[in-house]
Amino acid sequence: MTCPVPIAVTGLGCLSGAGMNLDENLATLFAGQRYPGPPIRFSTDHPVAYPVLELREEFKLPLDEEQLIYARTGQLALAAALEALTDAGYDEVSLRSKRVGVCIGTTVGCALNCDDFYRDYKDGNSPGMSIIERYLRSNPAAVIARQLKLNGPVQTVVNACSSGTDAIGLGAFWLRAGVCDLVISGGADELSRVTYAGFSSLMITDSSPCRPFDVNRKGLNLGEGAGIMILERGDTVEKKRIRGRVLGYGSACDAHHLTAPRPDGAGLQAALAEALQTAGVSPQQISFVNAHGTGTPDNDRIEGQVLQKVLPGVPFLSTKGYTGHTLGAAGAIEAVYTLACLERGEIPASIGFVEPDPAIPVAPVTANTSIAGTVALSQSLAFGGNNAVLILSAEGA
Amino acid sequence: MRLAIEGIGVTGGFGVGVDALRSALQAGTLSYQNLTVEHHDGAKDNFLACRATTEGLDRFLPKRELRRIDHFSKMSLYAAHLALEDAGLLDADLSRTGVVVATGYGPLKTTFNFLDSYLDFGYSCSSPTHFSNSVHNAAAAHVSMQLKLTAPNLTVTQFEMSVASALLSARQWLEEGRVDRVLFGAVDEYCEVLRYCRRYFFGGSEQGPMRPLALEAQTAMVGEGAAFMILTRDDGSAAYAAIDSMVLGNHSVAPVELPPATLIVAGADGHRECGRWYAETVNNRPVVACSPYYGSFPAAAGFDLVAAALMLRDKQLYAGPQDAGSGLSPSVDSVLLSGARLASLKFGPGGDYGLICLSR
Repeated sequence: MTCPVPIAVTGLGCLSGAGMNLDENLATLFAGQRYPGPPIRFSTDHPVAYPVLELREEFKLPLDEEQLIYARTGQLALAAALEALTDAGYDEVSLRSKRVGVCIGTTVGCALNCDDFYRDYKDGNSPGMSIIERYLRSNPAAVIARQLKLNGPVQTVVNACSSGTDAIGLGAFWLRAGVCDLVISGGADELSRVTYAGFSSLMITDSSPCRPFDVNRKGLNLGEGAGIMILERGDTVEKKRIRGRVLGYGSACDAHHLTAPRPDGAGLQAALAEALQTAGVSPQQISFVNAHGTGTPDNDRIEGQVLQKVLPGVPFLSTKGYTGHTLGAAGAIEAVYTLACLERGEIPASIGFVEPDPAIPVAPVTANTSIAGTVALSQSLAFGGNNAVLILSAEGA
Repeated sequence: MRLAIEGIGVTGGFGVGVDALRSALQAGTLSYQNLTVEHHDGAKDNFLACRATTEGLDRFLPKRELRRIDHFSKMSLYAAHLALEDAGLLDADLSRTGVVVATGYGPLKTTFNFLDSYLDFGYSCSSPTHFSNSVHNAAAAHVSMQLKLTAPNLTVTQFEMSVASALLSARQWLEEGRVDRVLFGAVDEYCEVLRYCRRYFFGGSEQGPMRPLALEAQTAMVGEGAAFMILTRDDGSAAYAAIDSMVLGNHSVAPVELPPATLIVAGADGHRECGRWYAETVNNRPVVACSPYYGSFPAAAGFDLVAAALMLRDKQLYAGPQDAGSGLSPSVDSVLLSGARLASLKFGPGGDYGLICLSR
């Protein structure tokens, strides 16, 4: 089944440890730079300071005081949404004539990870409700809908690390069904002491800057950020406003393990097959793949084996070395990068990769690389065994 | 496209299974537990709650499979298996069955258990098991692993709107032919921190009775549970009822439009802050609320949907135990005529709403 209605991307927004807007992100990527370091906004007693990729400390979100009442993930989502809406030519007033939906992926942004509050509670100090109230008003999709006074469907997707990819795919469904005229879709997640402790407990964090697909990879670096795509029905949008299209989306579940990918990669293969089918494109038409590429031993091995099987010879990269793993935001940030790279006709080096792994039959690009064609693919793997794939095209690239 | 509800599995304060809920609705039986939380200063906090059990889950899964699975996911597994059993699908080919789960708060207890692990013993002792089970999609993951469901899998969290929002995506999956069937669930759990917060917000209430249609009173009582349904594309022969439509919006931005000649199953659950939205919209319309049977929690909207489906199947209006004399609803006939339509309406505190229309 191919997508019956083309879905246009009319705006992009992105912020991460690689930059505070999409242009800054791309400049960092193509300059081959990255800024990992110990966490600034929290501390732990871990014997190792695992590096993270945080938004710059001096950064002030372009939000007014009222908007700063939200938890950080909500702020990140809102800031990226405002950038994307501006890019698409919308403001709060012009949006009101449309039925606007919001579909945002996250992990930290919906979890009651309030360890300061909980420490007080455990200590018998009767903590107040300010942290809880902030949590209750900070559901990322609801933050955007509330701030922009929207009246459409609102959904926060919590499929762990594929959430951002899924949110864009689900937003496209809404448009095809006529549920709304425009969808603000993507993902957002903040860096948190809780996830920092959690991933280190799983022993899948690298004490050095991460090395996706490299033989010496030891794990991931956490990051934070948000990526937003403005989606509209392609048959209702002026051609000059279209930056790209969501051609296809696929997802499937491993049904294997809570945190480890299925060894035969069957779930990822099923998601790829659905995405290619709905996009109506062949593997030969894919210009490049923005891989999940976390730098963990299992993920990269399985993902590399599936890429060799399904998309042999297609150039690929991981951008996790630039952004860290931004969890629920990752798929959305990478989808934004994918479309932006198609527009530029080149992809950046897969930073951190130096030495091939004999267990992985493919290797990512090691330098900025020109690409031909207008179609590319971005994929995510997640806790819970979720696999999600987007196929995107650039308009006029 | 209409969705058919072909099977239902529930565990909640009323007991286990769709027949237990139906019996409670028919008899007006409320089942609350007396809970006590002892605070650090020795003070005891006594209150009533609707707790759900997972006793009996080992009828479907061996106990050794359940050892490391928490209460949140066990409730989901139990309700999922009961729904499949109710639909006669336990041994069916489930290769094209998707999973969609709605939750307001996710696995709260495990989230705090993970925090305990490092607050008590230091960050180096953080528990990987608690961490991996603390993600919101842990329940959906356990359901897919135990039932070997490899089709698309989605978890949605939108507080009170979680069910309506998730249902929107379930419908799209069926409409576009991604799956032939959706195992759709709603789940939330109780924990002591939640009680602490509710006590702070609402004072020392939660002693009963819960009067959801006394819209200006704070009478909510905490609950928990899991409600799962088997959804398919409707061919006119749904076992319970068909979902005709669903609409999400914000009443404060654009007023909700209630369908004419439709009885409202209100998601009102004794929260004064949400009550005003029902007062603005459903006044002078036939309305019932069933929340006293399962208590107050965001995913209870899934139980509202189940209650509405049962009413349509049984052609019987099951009025809430405290509806009489509320002054809100005009008297309604307890027999639902052929062609009757129900609408499950849920408001959040900010005026956001989900409206799900059903018929038989």
